[in-house]
Amino acid sequence: MKTQLITPGALALCLTATSAVAQDRTLTISVYSFAQDAYKEALYDPFEEICNCELVIETGNSVERMAKIEANAADPVIDMAVISSHDALALAQKGLLAQIDTASLGNFDKLYPAAQDPLGNGMAVGYTFYASSIVYRSDLVTIDSWGDLFSDEVAGRVALPNITGTQGPLTLMMLNKALDQDPSDFGPTIDAIGEKADDIVTFYSRSSELAQLMLQEEVIAAPVGRFAWSRFQGTPFPFAWADPAEGQAGGMNVMIMTKDNGNEELALEFMDYWLSTEVQTRVAEARIDSPANMEVTVSDEIAEALTYGGDLIKSLTILPPEEIIEKRDGWVEQWNRSVIQ
Amino acid sequence: MFQNRREGLALALPAAIFTLLVFLLPVSIFLSEAFRFDGGWSLQGYVQFFSEPLNQSVFLRTLKLGALVAGSSAVIGYAAAFCIVNLDGRARGQIFGLVVLPLMISPVARTYAWIVILGRTGIVNDTIVGLGLSETPIRLLFTETAVFLGLLQLFLPLMIISLVSAMENLPRDVIPAARVLGASWLQVFTRIILPLTREGLVMGGTLVFTGSLTAYITPAILGGSKVLMLETLLYQKVNVSNDFVSASVIAMILIVMSFSANLLLKRIATARR
Repeated sequence: MKTQLITPGALALCLTATSAVAQDRTLTISVYSFAQDAYKEALYDPFEEICNCELVIETGNSVERMAKIEANAADPVIDMAVISSHDALALAQKGLLAQIDTASLGNFDKLYPAAQDPLGNGMAVGYTFYASSIVYRSDLVTIDSWGDLFSDEVAGRVALPNITGTQGPLTLMMLNKALDQDPSDFGPTIDAIGEKADDIVTFYSRSSELAQLMLQEEVIAAPVGRFAWSRFQGTPFPFAWADPAEGQAGGMNVMIMTKDNGNEELALEFMDYWLSTEVQTRVAEARIDSPANMEVTVSDEIAEALTYGGDLIKSLTILPPEEIIEKRDGWVEQWNRSVIQ
Repeated sequence: MFQNRREGLALALPAAIFTLLVFLLPVSIFLSEAFRFDGGWSLQGYVQFFSEPLNQSVFLRTLKLGALVAGSSAVIGYAAAFCIVNLDGRARGQIFGLVVLPLMISPVARTYAWIVILGRTGIVNDTIVGLGLSETPIRLLFTETAVFLGLLQLFLPLMIISLVSAMENLPRDVIPAARVLGASWLQVFTRIILPLTREGLVMGGTLVFTGSLTAYITPAILGGSKVLMLETLLYQKVNVSNDFVSASVIAMILIVMSFSANLLLKRIATARR
């Protein structure tokens, strides 16, 4: 009888202790605030079940999240983060990132070559690609070139991404190509946008903002990332994804690990899980991110919403991260002078 | 009321400490950045800010729109307040309720409503095209006009409330007396109503002007990056450029503009005595 009384008590004690151990394994990650419910289902919850650990999710825009990593460099509060490749390079140049031990990533070899070491020196691993082209109303206009954004046909009903966002520099690069300008100098293209500023409805910051304007028929053509394409599908209007003569622009988001965070083993475990075929497929099927894992296969319907397939990824025109970091301040300054003012 | 002063101070102490710790202290630390440059104290941040043509135009636009919204609110507000105070009890309550009603709706919802109203397929453009005033819809969104309308709609109730409150204190017989003595309506307004309701005008003008300067949602949604105002520029400095020095300079400029507007309005009101 006495034993029976003690056993449940001891069991409870053991469970409490186990729970305490589980809570000791905590991984703090910093991610975009986009689609967090879907990520919870596809990635966070399944990983917590496997690792017997707790994930602490911090969200925000790139600037906020980068500022937090920089402010806590001496004693990192973020273990791992996902961020654009050029923002990752900026952090790497400040010495804030740890080299990723890719040998411990079981899924590393399954990644497209472009995603394996995008910044060099093992500073980051790509987990998703995105194409960038022009979405337009096929019943009203035809877009065959990036230069068509300046045509009379769309004048007064075209929107461009703001220079301060990720899509801004990509649009500049492709317009620069369409206008046959020097690839290393976006200055004349910024001036050309400035001359057409009155024909441009707005310079949007978020794809959700653009989707609303296009659904309201305020805008009929605009450059946008493929990740936002699903917002335009299934709507009452015939939206089309352009295949411009100059090609599509592209970009990549990467995983990084902060230097001396003391939680490297768990961070690598999480990164490897995220890159696995299983998780990348789930995330792709939820139409959140396009896969960087070559083994992922999805239906044609899902593929239509993503930047999917080796051929497409190879065809993208990528703006080198180092060029963005080096020239961005100059672009913004000229943009403010020629376009906004 | 209190037996000694200490009791009164003790009761005020928690609120004072709270305000000091969660408002005055952090705001002071943030604003002190506006006077720091290269590790020392300096006004260089302001010199740099005003030396950029973009910042100059944003500053002037903010000032212009703030003044226009405050001025228009005063004109519309006086007419509305005069009408309200002359209504009978029940109708007066109903109309006053309608004036206050928008304040109970989120500014975000109210501003998004303007996107629908001012859009190419919105009621304004439908009317313009329907009346044959233009063959095609005109662009109203992302213009200064859109921001002006949004801010006016947002802050007009504050002006009306202030003026109604001031007009309720007008002696009942002064306006009929002035009219009987031959004063025109313009004279009644400039020589009786305006001087006697100046406190309400100062209060309403300060609230509307300050509100227009510091509103973020409305200029961000209706103006976007094409119609930058100081508060949207401040947001960009913090959230896009991570430039806290420029952001604190802008915050300081907004504070100075608000206080200056209050002082100016008080001066104008006093000068009419």
